[in-house]
Amino acid sequence: MGSIFTAAPPQSGPGYSFKQTPTTVPEGTRQHGFYPYTDNGGSTLGITGADFAILAGDTRSTSGYNINTRFAPKLFKVGGADSRIVLSVVGFAADGLALKERLDTIVKMYRYQHGKPMSVAACAQRLSHILYQKRFFPYYVTAILGGLDEEGKGALYSYDPVGSYEREQCRAAGAAASLIMPFLDNQVNYKNQYVLGSGEGHALQARERELLPRKDVEELVQDAFSSAVERHIEVGDGLQMFIITKDGIEEIYKPLKLD
Amino acid sequence: MNHLPQAWGRPRDDVYGPYNNSYLQTSGPSQHTQSPIVTGTSVLAIKFKDGVVIAADNLASYGSLARFTDVKRLLRFNSRAVIGFGGDVSDMQYLTRLLSSLEINENYSVTSSTELAANNLHTYLHKVMYKRRSDFNPLWNQILIAGLDVADNPYLASVDLLGTTFSSPTLATGFGAHLAVPIMRRVCPDEEAAKELTQEQAVETVRECMKVLFYRDARSLDKYSIAVVTKEGVDLKHGEKLEKQSWAFAEGIRGYGTQVN
Amino acid sequence: MTSIGTGYDLSNSVFSPDGRNFQVEYAVKAVENGGTAIGIRCKDGVVLALEKLVVSKLLKHGANKRIATVDRNAGIVSSGLTPDGRHFVSRARDEAAQWRKLYKAPIPTSSLANRMGSYVQAYTLYSSVRPFGVTAIIGGWDAEDELPVDGMVGSGPSVGSGGKQEGSKKGGPSLYMIEPSGLYWGYYGAATGKGRQSAKSELEKLDLAAGNLTLEEGVKEAARILYFAHEDSKDKEFELEMTWISSKDGPTKGRHEEVPKELREEAERLAKKALEGDEDDEDTKMEE
Repeated sequence: MGSIFTAAPPQSGPGYSFKQTPTTVPEGTRQHGFYPYTDNGGSTLGITGADFAILAGDTRSTSGYNINTRFAPKLFKVGGADSRIVLSVVGFAADGLALKERLDTIVKMYRYQHGKPMSVAACAQRLSHILYQKRFFPYYVTAILGGLDEEGKGALYSYDPVGSYEREQCRAAGAAASLIMPFLDNQVNYKNQYVLGSGEGHALQARERELLPRKDVEELVQDAFSSAVERHIEVGDGLQMFIITKDGIEEIYKPLKLD
Repeated sequence: MNHLPQAWGRPRDDVYGPYNNSYLQTSGPSQHTQSPIVTGTSVLAIKFKDGVVIAADNLASYGSLARFTDVKRLLRFNSRAVIGFGGDVSDMQYLTRLLSSLEINENYSVTSSTELAANNLHTYLHKVMYKRRSDFNPLWNQILIAGLDVADNPYLASVDLLGTTFSSPTLATGFGAHLAVPIMRRVCPDEEAAKELTQEQAVETVRECMKVLFYRDARSLDKYSIAVVTKEGVDLKHGEKLEKQSWAFAEGIRGYGTQVN
Repeated sequence: MTSIGTGYDLSNSVFSPDGRNFQVEYAVKAVENGGTAIGIRCKDGVVLALEKLVVSKLLKHGANKRIATVDRNAGIVSSGLTPDGRHFVSRARDEAAQWRKLYKAPIPTSSLANRMGSYVQAYTLYSSVRPFGVTAIIGGWDAEDELPVDGMVGSGPSVGSGGKQEGSKKGGPSLYMIEPSGLYWGYYGAATGKGRQSAKSELEKLDLAAGNLTLEEGVKEAARILYFAHEDSKDKEFELEMTWISSKDGPTKGRHEEVPKELREEAERLAKKALEGDEDDEDTKMEE
């Protein structure tokens, strides 16, 4: 056996399938090959009215160009059966689920310990803290929290992945946020809408804002999603809506295009 | 005799290039799994009206080498759940042992209580996988859990190395997500269709998909395991052979048949 | 020889001048008051049975099981102080799990008995502890075929080298009994607790060494023997608890499980009938 190699080995390798054998070892240390995040696509949005809040999200879950499933909810009731708080998460679904589980137990524990349901404002700040605590290894999600405030008005809070948050009238998040948000700006906050014949240039009078009735908002949500489906491949399959009113949380499911 | 390592099986530098010792570093940050080593390919599953069918071939590859050809990648957990593993085989073995100890623990009390349902098992595996990815020490698998949930309805769900979970009437991992899912969705597009599907149709579809995968996936094998989970229990068969293959399509492909260049 | 300790019974690990460890002997006394527990090693399995005395009418019937599963293929029944028995079982489960972690295969019953024997014995050595107040019966079925290692890849070479012997069979049923001293033996039939004397004499009549008794017969005999052994404390109510382990081709598929309700009730019916029969015999004799 040893005799094969007693002579000096040939300088150029025999003709194997790859002619160019590397002659140097790669430099430096090997790098981590594991990236702990992925994007599962999808979009969510929330709009508030005088006495209600609507959260909506499509139910498609994707990995690259694959559709994992056509029904994976991004909307979750938080804090048990009689809760009036809804959390929506979009981005990395596993983090979204973990975040929802954590917030859910916290809101439940609040109820058990204080004997009253957590207010949306308190829950909103708590959620911010949860996200901020993990800012060096963030939950890779955009969250929207919805409910009714202590005066019974619709309340909506939107977040970035590291916990910065604000209360808003409406917000779109996720893959098609850049498609839906300008639409909402125009249709909910009347951006770029002016009073007819009020003048020109700086004299133009912005159309006065008003809180939309529930029916109008539902239609806006549907229009927003059916349009997003046309223009974004990661959005589609189904539209899930949670409407939070003083009477409880109503769930609506409508099919979207499957392509 | 010769003391040179090359004479004892070390790849010759002139043939294979210089040996890369970097993975043997003794200094530097502690390293966890960077990539899978010995791997299994697709796992397929489809729901039908009384249960779930799940299948995976018996190959474990070492890169492009077909390393083990009799690997059982379907695990019967109990009479109502079967687990299919894709990805790293050593991590699969670790999970097998973890699930084995879970099953033993579940049966410490002899009182014949209900068994762990498939959805409970899915939640458990999700927690394990998500914890490991959060520790930057992932278990490099994509896993399908097929069986019956607590209410005895068919249950099928997936969890992967990142802890991502989802459920669908048809699921496939790896190459199967590209090649088998469209075929399976044709017979079973949604939950309503799954409620109409018979066991025979489901099994037939899965077998057909295994064949398609063998045609097109270079890391696949014509020998596979298939399991059917229903209320009657688990019917798990290993070492099934693909039947009625037709390679007629290969004739027209450059490099496949007589046409070499 | 006096059975009173005269000062040598106050501490564990202290011998009396005539070479006895009184603490251990007192532990045996604790066992002698417990409900009868028996184990039968049949040709195709093992039966464990327990006479569980009903200590309160307020306890739910059929709840609070006392026979425990240790690994898939092994179970333990004990007589004496129940909490000590629980701790014993907990340790046995740890041993079985640790064995699996190390060897990727189930612990052989003989090794389990050996380890538990050592564990119990250690509690006779130190003044800081007291011996176990239980006598435990360990029953198990060791797989007769070459077992795959847990999570093994493939099934190994089908022909030629690979260490497999064609048609080799090993394993089978085993039964061990461990006493408070740590002493343990392998048995064909084992009994402990209050009714052990009569239970043992009944077990001896079965000629278990011949290896003819089937598992199902074993279950019926176990029920009969426990009912028979209960005769001495007839005033107390009891529940019959029975588990069994068969080969992988048998009714439990190599697992330690509770005897199905139907079979247990049938065995109890036969046991009661057998007892009544005995009484009838005695009555007729009296009349004669």
